[in-house]
Amino acid sequence: MSSSGSPSSSGGGGPCGACKFLRRKCVPGCIFAPYFDSDQGAAHFAAVHKVFGASNVSKLLHHIPEHKRADAVVSICFEAQSRLRDPIYGCVSHIVSLQQQVVSLQNELSYVQAHLATLELPQPPPATVTSSGSLPPLSISDLPTITPSMYDLSPIFEPMSSTWPMQQQPRPSDHLFGVSQSSSIGGGGEFQAIAREFLHGGQMSAHQPPPETGGSAPTVIKRE
Amino acid sequence: MNPKRCAACKYLRRRCPKDCIFSPYFPPNDPDKFACIHRIYGAGNVSKMLQQLPVQTRAEAVESLSFEAKCRVEDPVYGCVGIISLLQTQIRKTQTLLAKTQAEIAVAQTKHSQHTNL
Repeated sequence: MSSSGSPSSSGGGGPCGACKFLRRKCVPGCIFAPYFDSDQGAAHFAAVHKVFGASNVSKLLHHIPEHKRADAVVSICFEAQSRLRDPIYGCVSHIVSLQQQVVSLQNELSYVQAHLATLELPQPPPATVTSSGSLPPLSISDLPTITPSMYDLSPIFEPMSSTWPMQQQPRPSDHLFGVSQSSSIGGGGEFQAIAREFLHGGQMSAHQPPPETGGSAPTVIKRE
Repeated sequence: MNPKRCAACKYLRRRCPKDCIFSPYFPPNDPDKFACIHRIYGAGNVSKMLQQLPVQTRAEAVESLSFEAKCRVEDPVYGCVGIISLLQTQIRKTQTLLAKTQAEIAVAQTKHSQHTNL
């Protein structure tokens, strides 16, 4: 993320951003050094530390394979920044907003497919996302096995079919999430871009840095 | 002191005071909820976060923290950002399919009007 040329490890030019923030000696092999440079890294680590705590993040990173740590740091920074901007909902508001967008699009798709089917010209059955070769259905098993009662995402990931409900069943917390399409994250597009770009790249190859974004983005990864 | 400790104080092995900040949100019958939150955020950080929020918003905050913590436990690398990524992927694919279907409608309507004019 960060394109800063200044070295972050203690071996070269000073402490990493994390150790700078924590005002401690940056030892060789510091777990944070590869991911928090001494320039912007300190500011980003401040957010991470405030939400998660340095020791919790350190433990988390130690339990993750090294080639996945960069991805983990990006997602942790994203969540920390989201939580600081929205102390009540964090990035869950973003998830709810996207979920609503998915439902709306799927409803629109169902309507449009039904319209196509009513046209008189002979044609093959309307393509649906369940037909082979088109949109592969996401199944709940592809996701973390979590469906907290207030954030039931499972309908989103069931295979879409003609029996797709036109309206989602109301959830207990629906009325509490007055989330508009615009994310509660200020400048939410940048985090979307970061997460999308990095995570898509990260899932295929571990060390694909996210794109440069504005100052508020968690630009903590530096290229080696 | 509460006669029955909340899940947080039980987990932390301490007395549960009457004004315990955790007790309204971590009932003793759900120990895993606090365990997960503590593992990811730590009790001190959660306590500070809740103290900075109006009382009427703390329940929602705890639920969202619990959700994010569970996501992170299940997927230590991506946490709930993985869900965001999946949703964004699904949105893009649905938009593509929608555009494709709308184009098919346009073609079908054009053919239909040409057939009618013959």
